[in-house]
Amino acid sequence: MDILQSWRRVLASDDNRRRYDAYIERWESRIACLLERDLTRATGTPDAALPLSGIPFAVKDNIAVRDFHLTCGSKILQNLVSPYTATAVKRLEAAGARVIGKTNLDEFGMGSSTDNSALQRSNNPWNASAVCGGSSGGSAAVVAAGLVPFALGSDTGGSVRQPASFCGCFGLKPTWGSVSRFGLVAYASSLEVIGVLARDVDTVETVYDLMAGADDLDQSSLARPAAPPAREIRTVGVLRGTAGLAAPIEAACRNTIDALKQSGCEIVELELPMLEYVVPAYYTIATAEASANLARYTGIRYGLRAAVDEGQEQMVAATRNAGFGDEVKLRILLGTYVLRSGFQDQYYVRAQKIRTAIRNAFDAAFQQADVILSPVYPTQAFVRGAGELSPFAQKLADRFTASANLAGIPAFAFPTGVADGLPVGLQFMGPPFAEHRLFDAVRRLPDVAPLMRPDGYDEGWRS
Amino acid sequence: MNLDDLTTTARLALLDIPDPEKLAHAFTEMLHHFEKMNEVDVSGLEPTTHALLRENRLRKDVVTNDDRSDELLARAADAKGRFFRIPNVL
Repeated sequence: MDILQSWRRVLASDDNRRRYDAYIERWESRIACLLERDLTRATGTPDAALPLSGIPFAVKDNIAVRDFHLTCGSKILQNLVSPYTATAVKRLEAAGARVIGKTNLDEFGMGSSTDNSALQRSNNPWNASAVCGGSSGGSAAVVAAGLVPFALGSDTGGSVRQPASFCGCFGLKPTWGSVSRFGLVAYASSLEVIGVLARDVDTVETVYDLMAGADDLDQSSLARPAAPPAREIRTVGVLRGTAGLAAPIEAACRNTIDALKQSGCEIVELELPMLEYVVPAYYTIATAEASANLARYTGIRYGLRAAVDEGQEQMVAATRNAGFGDEVKLRILLGTYVLRSGFQDQYYVRAQKIRTAIRNAFDAAFQQADVILSPVYPTQAFVRGAGELSPFAQKLADRFTASANLAGIPAFAFPTGVADGLPVGLQFMGPPFAEHRLFDAVRRLPDVAPLMRPDGYDEGWRS
Repeated sequence: MNLDDLTTTARLALLDIPDPEKLAHAFTEMLHHFEKMNEVDVSGLEPTTHALLRENRLRKDVVTNDDRSDELLARAADAKGRFFRIPNVL
């Protein structure tokens, strides 16, 4: 809790808020990661005994916070102000924390760079020409730049972990269902979960513990089991067949394996041939669920409405054409296609059976290893206009992250260092509800997970 | 997959795509990638819809949420009284 201490008074007076706002402004002129910010509504001194009393945080703009906008980075919801607050946010507010802003994202969470936001372009705090990753790119960047001690994101196929790696912070994708999805705008319901980004493991753990647990407002939410998996780590699995990694990622894997051995872990090589099918199965399921979830944006009850005078169906089609960006349209089309009568068995049902095989493979792997060490993404953050991956290549690169979403298991991305001016990160995966084991796995690596600071990062304004 | 397939799919998705050719390449590229799943022998595997969901969560059939209808109606693109207004359907 030490790191959080220095944040407790930043909203406590007009003077403190002014200093805080000036620091935010200094960064925002470079990285533009907040879609909305408001330090004034966080007035009033919460009970000092609360665990997060007075602590500011930011929330990805696909998670509802009452009276803040809820744009999802989309023109179709650009003007929507949320009438309610997500359960995860409510629990943190009840613990004394205060939302100070909403962060940019790829439209509806669909992308790996945050450049798919229809509302604004965000930059990486380490290099303003580089992307901050996605889809929770804004949340990762504001944490890395020290604008907030933590931020919430959502992870459907890697959307917390990949930007955390790109920006040099920690990112937890919890066990599916362990955090209520009430108030998270639905993209792919069976895969997504609200996660935490922070600059230190303790903060991630504190925030996760406060927001996790069953919720009457989300019937798929799960209570933490009475006997969760043990925290102890003796064996670490590493994946065979991870060709195609950028050199700094490969070096990080080697160094981390060495550090784990030094700390007394046994390394077990794992063969998971099913991982080759993660990406097609993931995109089949994610797009199918997206096509159903995004059918609600019709312009009738809320959000953008195209000016069409005659015909409800024409109005709806024109609204969706004007309101959705190309990536969202592509995924709705793919999802609609794989669910069309005659194609379901070939695509959707097959993908769900492969999902079973992937789960079984992980179950077997966790018989041999307490945690699995894996890359997050094959590359560091891309610099725009230089070696960017094509949109298709970006999807293929989700293979290390999306596996955890298909299996529903927790995964924790952590920074390992900086190469060529940009952060490098890896992840641990564990069996369901083994979040605390993953935290402890990272704690064994003090030397490879330093507190990294981009140029311009400052804590002095808080003292 | 041809352009007709794409426009039919767009119609089913209530998407008005003025330029289907623009999305056609990315669409076929992904569909082609999905074909990779045919390499897997899926016999004997049950489909997984949710990785960890085991049972339905039940609760008493009582109203627990407050009435927010005014707030929700205030967000309508077009409303008249207590109704959402839409273009003529006939």
